[in-house]
Order: sequence, then C-alpha cells, then structure tokens
Amino acid sequence: MSTPDSSPPASSYSTVVAMLAVQLEIDAATILPETELATLGVDSLTVAELIFDLEDKFGITLGDERPSLVVVQDIVDNIDRYINNKPAT
Amino acid sequence: MQRVVITGIGAISALGTGADTNFSAAFAGRSGIGPVEISAGPHRITGCAAQIGFDLPELVRKADLPLFDRVALLAWSAASEALQQAGMDPDPAAQQSSGVFWGTGMGGAQTIDNGYVDLFIEQKNRVRPMSIVASMNNASAAQIALRAGFGGSVNTYSSACVSSAQAIGEAFRHIRHGYAERVLAGGSEALLTVGIWRAWEALRVLGVTDADHPERTCKPFSLDRSGLVLGEAGAAVMLESLESAQRRGATILAELAGYGASNDATHMTKPDPAGQARAMRMALREAGLAPDRIDYINAHGAGTLAGDLAETQSIREVFGDHAAALMVSSTKAVHGHTLGAAGALEFVLAVQALRQQAVPPTAFLAQPDPACDLDYVALHGRAQQSLRAVMSNSFAFGGSNAALIAIPFI
Repeated sequence: MSTPDSSPPASSYSTVVAMLAVQLEIDAATILPETELATLGVDSLTVAELIFDLEDKFGITLGDERPSLVVVQDIVDNIDRYINNKPAT
Repeated sequence: MQRVVITGIGAISALGTGADTNFSAAFAGRSGIGPVEISAGPHRITGCAAQIGFDLPELVRKADLPLFDRVALLAWSAASEALQQAGMDPDPAAQQSSGVFWGTGMGGAQTIDNGYVDLFIEQKNRVRPMSIVASMNNASAAQIALRAGFGGSVNTYSSACVSSAQAIGEAFRHIRHGYAERVLAGGSEALLTVGIWRAWEALRVLGVTDADHPERTCKPFSLDRSGLVLGEAGAAVMLESLESAQRRGATILAELAGYGASNDATHMTKPDPAGQARAMRMALREAGLAPDRIDYINAHGAGTLAGDLAETQSIREVFGDHAAALMVSSTKAVHGHTLGAAGALEFVLAVQALRQQAVPPTAFLAQPDPACDLDYVALHGRAQQSLRAVMSNSFAFGGSNAALIAIPFI
C-alpha cells in the first residue's frame, strides 16, 4: 500500500507495541520506543515471529536484509520503511 | 557399575495430568478414549482416540509458545512433574552431569501438518517462522534440557512405538556405565493430525468404534478386539545413580533394574515372538532376576490380533511354567496407543503398580480370546498384591522390542 507524498508517513508504532505486549504478556505502557528488546526478553526467535505477524498485518513482505534491531523503535522503523513503500537504504 | 534409581515420575495423557491421576484412572479402568475431534480445511476425522480434551497446563510463557509443538508441551508437562518430584536443585556442577534421553516417533508432526495446511489449503506462500525449531524431532529433548539446565548428553530416540522405552533403557545404561549421574528420560507423542490419522487409516489397523460404548473401543486380548486406538501423551522418569540420589537425600521411588532390547529382523510390521523374547530375557539377565521373580507385566497389548498372539507366545516362551502365575495387563485399553510415548507412560504405570502394590486391569476384557491364555487381569484392578518386580514391554513397527524391569528399592 502506498501513501501519497503529501500525507504524513504511516507508523506501525502502536501496532508493534500492542503486539509485543500481547506476545510478552506485559502492560503496553511499559514499552517505549527506546526500550531495549533484550531487556524485554525478546530474542532473535521472538523477533522473527513478530515480524512475520507484522507482515501479515500490514500486507507487506520484508526483503532479505538483516538490520540490527536493538530497541523497539528499530522494529518500527524497519516495518515503516515497507509500509511507506520506501526501499531500505 | 552404578545402580540406577527413579526419583521422580510424571505423566499426561487422555487419563489426565499427573502420574498419580493417570495411575488412578488406569487402576479404576476409567477410559480416556472417545470420539476424536480433528479437522483441517475440508477434512473432518471420525473415529475414536485417546485424545487429550482438556487444556494443557500453562507452563510456557506465551512468547515461547511458537517454539513448542504440542508434542513438546506434553514433554515439558511430564518432565517438569518428574523434576519437581525429584527435587532437583539447580547445582551447576550437577547439571553438567545431567542429561535428557527422550523418545518420540514423529516429533512435531502437528507443526508439519499446519505448514501443509498453510501452503496447500490456504494457498499461502510461506509457513510460520518457528516451523523448523518446533517440528524437529529433538525439540522436546532440547526444551527439557534448556529448562532444566541439563548440560550433559541430550539424545532423541525415534524407533516408532518403542521410542521412549528405548530412551529410558539407554539412559539406564548411560548412568550405569558412569557417563552421567542423572538423566531425565521418557517420551511424548502428539500425532492426532489429519495427515497422520489418514495414514494410519490407510494401513487398516485402527479399531472400529464400539457403537454402544466408544470408550471401550480398544480391547486387547479380547475376542471382539478390532484394532488399535491412537492416543497422545507425555511421560517421564528422573533417573539417577544411587550415589547421586543418596548424596542429595532424594526420595527413591523404585530401582530400574534391567533393560533389554532387540530387533525381530524378520518383518517391518509383523511381530515375532522370538525377537520379543530376546528383549525380555536380556532385561532379566541385566537385572539378575530369574523369570519367576516377575509378578506383573504391563504388556505392549495394542489390541491387534497378531500383536496379542505374539506377545502371549513370547511371554510363555520366556516365563515357562511361571507364565500361568504372572499378571499381564494392557493399560492401552484406557489410554490408547500413545506410540512414541507408550513405553514411558506404561513404565510409569508399572512403577506406580509396584509402589502401590496394585495391578491395573485390562479394561473391557469381557470376552477373552481363547488363543490368549494368560492372566490378563480382566476388567478389575487388583489391590494388595505382593509385587517383587514388574516388567514393561514395548514392541514397534520396524521390529524393535524393549523390556524394562523395576524393583522396589531396598
């Protein structure tokens, strides 16, 4: 899905936080953009599951790049690039 | 050579959660068998199975669930019960000398089935990310090792219906010969999927549902038997060297005294009494017991004509005159054939029989097959026995046989 250039870019932030909260069984309010994934107990396998579900949710397919994901915002940025139809740089 | 003792047991099956619950139900002849519920896409299965209809204990956090096929959930349910009963302390040095030996016939088959549903029915072009990690045959063993912190040998045995009996037996040898002090051993199986069910159906060995009493569909040693009834389960025993158990002051439930293993090497599916007898004799030799010291055998007794006849004959061969005095029962009549978990589940029940001096019956054996002429403990369990030693038999497609012997710890 592409977004016209004039409107603000869509963000997956609230969806990422909501899905993480369900997956980790924690209060969404405790998850902030700068929260480190490791401190949430999120490992590479959990991320793989999350991204799979985010792809379904937003109807996107991530490429084969393997960006470094350290904090919650990193996941959001990664997804947003695809939501907004922008190729990864 | 180390003596090997049992300090914890665990079980989950259609009979319920917990080794005690399972034994009580088996002793009372309360069946876990009923109409099965399996479906996927346009496919609906009809028939009877010992399917676990209740919610499994919630022992795994949600974020980890994608890594768990149902078979591994059953594994961890049984294993954690055995570990807890054994009172294993998280001592890092001891953990390095602790292993996991687990049996499963087909591992995470449900995950594979789900992947095929996604690809071929839902027409998706991908499967879940944890499909490999959840379906691999060693996933159950690995999850147990990870959660228990056991850093010794972690092995998976996959020999159809003797898988978990082999796992327990090989764990026994492993400890006996000093390779580890402790091994959590057992097995699990969860094959109630459309694909696997259809495969069993095609082989024409499944029991025909008893129209009046579906719960009585599995009738080992009975004239009106109609075949085996599939079940799902997990069962575990915490095995330790006697030295390890005594050092940490653990309660010893029983001693694992002997294990015998053989292969018929005659036919892929037709059981051979000679091969079965070799396994039973080896277990007796290993235990240093004369045949007349065994008082109860938990039979393989899956409820097929060929299987019932072969086991009756092999028991007669091994036990001679004593066969007439032996109590032999098949608890599969109530918990079904749990395949790779069967050896462990039935060994746990045999150990419980020994501990409680109570023999579970072959339930629903109202019309004995005259060709099967042993004491099968028909219909009713027998309490207040004087069991000196018990044996658990497991036989498999592929010709593998295994026999395990437990005695009271003195």
